[in-house]
Amino acid sequence: MDRQATMAQGTVPVERDEPTECRRWRLTGRVQAVGFRPFVYRLARRHGLAGSVRNLGGEVVVLAAGSRAVLDRFGRELIECAPPLARPAVRECRRVPELPGQGFIILESGRAAQAQVHVPPDYFACDECVRELHDPGDRRYRYPFINCTQCGPRYTLIERLPYDRPNTTMAGFDLCPRCRREYEDPGDRRFHAQPVACPDCGPHLSFVQGGDAPVRETAAALAACIDALRSGCVAAVKGVGGYHLMCDARSEAAVARLRAYKPRPHKPLAVMYPWEEDLASLRTAVMLEQAHERLLRDPMRPVVLVPRREGAPLAGAIAPGLGEIGVLLPYSPLHHLLLEDFGGPLVATSGNVSGEPVLTDASEASVRLARVAQVFLHHDRPIRRPADDAVFRIIAGRPRPLRLGRGCAPLELELPWELRRPLLAVGGQMKDTVALAWDRRVVVSPHIGDLDAPRSLVVFEQVAADLQALYGVRAEAIACDAHPGYAATRWARRSGLAVRSVFHHHAHAAVLAGEYPQVDRWLVFTWDGVGYGEDGSLWGGEALVGGPGRWWRVASLRPFRLPGGDRAGREPWRSAAALCWEAGIPWKPPVDGVALLHAAWRRGVNAPPTSAVGRLFDAAASLTGVLHTASFEGQGPMYLEAMAEGPGRAIELPERCDEAGVQRADWAPLLAMLAHDARPAAARAADLHASLAALVCTQATRARDEYGVRDVGLAGGVFQNRLLAESCVAGLEARGFRVYLPERLPANDGGLCFGQAVEVAAEGAG
Amino acid sequence: MSAVNGASPPLAGETHVGLAHGNGGRFMRELIEEVFVAVLANPRLDAGADAVPIPIPPDGDVLVTTDGFTVQPLEFPGGTIGSLAVHGTVNDLAVAGATPRYLTLNAFIEEGLEIGCLRRIVASLGQAASASRVDVVAGDTKVVRRGEGSGLYLATTGVGIRPRSVRVALDRIEPGDAILVSGPIGDHGTAVMLAREQFGLSGNLQSDAASVLPLTLAIRDLPGLHFMRDPTRGGLATVCHEIVRGTGCAVDLDQTALPIRDPVRTVCEMLGFDPLFLACEGRVVAVVEPAQAETVLERWRALPEGAASARIGRVRPGRAAVTIRTELGGERVLEELEDDPLPRIC
Repeated sequence: MDRQATMAQGTVPVERDEPTECRRWRLTGRVQAVGFRPFVYRLARRHGLAGSVRNLGGEVVVLAAGSRAVLDRFGRELIECAPPLARPAVRECRRVPELPGQGFIILESGRAAQAQVHVPPDYFACDECVRELHDPGDRRYRYPFINCTQCGPRYTLIERLPYDRPNTTMAGFDLCPRCRREYEDPGDRRFHAQPVACPDCGPHLSFVQGGDAPVRETAAALAACIDALRSGCVAAVKGVGGYHLMCDARSEAAVARLRAYKPRPHKPLAVMYPWEEDLASLRTAVMLEQAHERLLRDPMRPVVLVPRREGAPLAGAIAPGLGEIGVLLPYSPLHHLLLEDFGGPLVATSGNVSGEPVLTDASEASVRLARVAQVFLHHDRPIRRPADDAVFRIIAGRPRPLRLGRGCAPLELELPWELRRPLLAVGGQMKDTVALAWDRRVVVSPHIGDLDAPRSLVVFEQVAADLQALYGVRAEAIACDAHPGYAATRWARRSGLAVRSVFHHHAHAAVLAGEYPQVDRWLVFTWDGVGYGEDGSLWGGEALVGGPGRWWRVASLRPFRLPGGDRAGREPWRSAAALCWEAGIPWKPPVDGVALLHAAWRRGVNAPPTSAVGRLFDAAASLTGVLHTASFEGQGPMYLEAMAEGPGRAIELPERCDEAGVQRADWAPLLAMLAHDARPAAARAADLHASLAALVCTQATRARDEYGVRDVGLAGGVFQNRLLAESCVAGLEARGFRVYLPERLPANDGGLCFGQAVEVAAEGAG
Repeated sequence: MSAVNGASPPLAGETHVGLAHGNGGRFMRELIEEVFVAVLANPRLDAGADAVPIPIPPDGDVLVTTDGFTVQPLEFPGGTIGSLAVHGTVNDLAVAGATPRYLTLNAFIEEGLEIGCLRRIVASLGQAASASRVDVVAGDTKVVRRGEGSGLYLATTGVGIRPRSVRVALDRIEPGDAILVSGPIGDHGTAVMLAREQFGLSGNLQSDAASVLPLTLAIRDLPGLHFMRDPTRGGLATVCHEIVRGTGCAVDLDQTALPIRDPVRTVCEMLGFDPLFLACEGRVVAVVEPAQAETVLERWRALPEGAASARIGRVRPGRAAVTIRTELGGERVLEELEDDPLPRIC
């Protein structure tokens, strides 16, 4: 009946002898919140197909009727022509008997029991929206919350799925008639763009300075903030995933103020540059290579570490002691406006207390940032959960995440094996992330923070609960680190669920095994600060052979005892003392009162044994006189990397097999070289790197002889050191090894949760 | 062989405790009479009786507590295992709101303990008892074989009387209550550790071991006083965890308000210990309704042992956890003490 009517109207060119059929596609992958349904709608209209498209659970279901040939083509184009942010996959395509009604329509979202949900990260402002932002004739001219189906916030504003406006933090903003028309018009690029807004109906900025009355008009608030920044103030600016602390990156005084009051005395600060087609002003400060540029312009808009130019027009205190600075480009319309109007680079560092999650709530930010921020630029679009900026560094020719965050997380990955039951992997203690895993899927959260702060724990619990709610998966087991004192481990044990603890370095190694499932037998160097090892000592210089569920340690360092335990993590001089005392060589203490510490160390009072390369680097930083006390994690090693000059002379580290069959490399020959004041510290730093890279090659070659391994992984925070990592890669490849570093996850503890999930999945695989 | 101090006839010639001092015979009787009874004598102590009567006043509740003492070394700057055995038990009664009256004493002596040392310990026990106005009314000694003890273990049981008007208990704590401490924390733990490890650097560090009775008597009549505890093993942090567990509330501490002596701070910073987890043996933690917090401090500061008392935190509705606000404005969760805390910082 319908078909005849259509034919009579002649709008669908169906030949009388070409049979018409109806097909139903179920599409999975990233198909929600990326403009996929409007795309299907437009595609179907173009082909003159009747039918419907609908969100169902996490999938999109397409029903279309037409000739076979047209349906075939339509089916191909559903995948090939999908919008840039969509990643559709056909789960099922089959003929169905029922014929749809006339025309093609978008149906209301439905719920399905078995959800294949994909929660998208928060996107940049797309070119089209940025064009409108700058078009004086456009009704959203200079509106800081402009977005469309191809850009704008997602993860940070979704309350629950399906991704429809009432389920987001935009629910409180009623659409004005004009926005509603765009939202409802399938031909419009804002069709079902859930955060769509305009100056008439959407969120607004407000500016607060001291006890003055807030400036509540958007344009005036923005102007007031620019004025404050120009006068050298530190501003707390609410963005997409949380607050930034911003100030003039060229002003020593402003940067000093930010550092003094955050407080963050030395840790490098990220700098945001204005958007320019040629990135001209950015190039005056850093040596931009193509790989950096591609990454900077990527839709996830991460912070990228780039070598700084000599005499860069930036305050010296941006990244003292380091050769690289973290830069990023504007990603939200608000940032575009701020940077353009300011006309120069702005420090853009997380608005938080160091180590805690980025702040998202105006009242909380006003209290906690009161000391450091002189002015506040708020907006009234609520942030449901925090997402810090992601940080990348190019190491061995590829971008490697140092921190997962806005734009790249939640990060979806596949497990090499299927899990028996849904799992929550809670990661480590520092730089924590959590992962929800079920079947063969894993979703990794953005960076949360260091879990010794109560706010980190609150966000940790929220993210753990939210991931389960959003994906409709309830964890039946928890994977955690084996360290009994980690907050996440304690939390896991209180949860009442089955707990599977995974050794820290097994998880580090398993990250690589999960990322590169084609490798069967690994040799992984897991070098980091400290983590709880199988023998109850603090590992961190281990070489493991095997694969998930079957790692065994083949090589390590000569152990040494850390005087004062946890304090060694922030006081590199303690590691220097440990090595010198252990080796029985004289040591000049840079602090007073170490006789007591030495006595305690001798008697084993709070002096746990370790084999961590991170602590060896710390010791080197102190022995070379570079740094005795650190104000942030990895400060000593980072300085050593930055200052190393020349190829470096490798010192051979003798190895000895211990009673457990582990080859122990002795660091003692390094000590005299490191403490040799007559040579420049830069040369000594280079020798240290060369020596450790040579050790990796020696240990790998022996492991190949003994165990036949050819695939070598470099995992753990130490391999964020580009100089060391690239030296190792070069040396290993020259010896015929295939070498792998993590690429989707951070090499540091931010990747542990994924590694934990891989380990548990391997268990089920038998 | 050097002479034993005060060598009285029955023990003459003996310098160390032997197994014979525990066999029920003459040696044992002489040891008890010469070393213990001579020092601890009081009208109710009858060494020959199997049990003694104690009068109970009709206007209060009888409180009983018991505790064992194994501290090493037996003598340390500021006290001995003997004074500790009195103060530990007296303090448990005092923070429960009671006035301690009687103690019983058990001594497990290792064969070979120097009798001079035992005398010194019992003397300090006797001094502590009389200063705390408690009578040792019953006791027992055993001698264990060499190698089966660490010189001396003591156990005391205490009996005290609490006026019916005094009500202090975990379940009286209310959200909003102030948390106060009567003096500097960590002294005992630090002093004993330094003495035990024989660093030879105890310097000006002394245990705070003392009776807290004057402190508790000074405030126990206040209706706003909800709870008292002496922060012994596990220190102040462990008391805070007890409060959290008992109330389901949050406890917030303010790092800058914590009274910590400089030498304690210096030693802890150097050795990597947290004074919040170190034992005190002469301090009281009080949980008080905020309106009476100042009154408590005033009364405490009028006493020598309360001169450095301070308001250090509060009980708050919220997530059941102990949080400390650091000097830099950050916040840190204080987890419960573990057996063997290991570094977590990468």
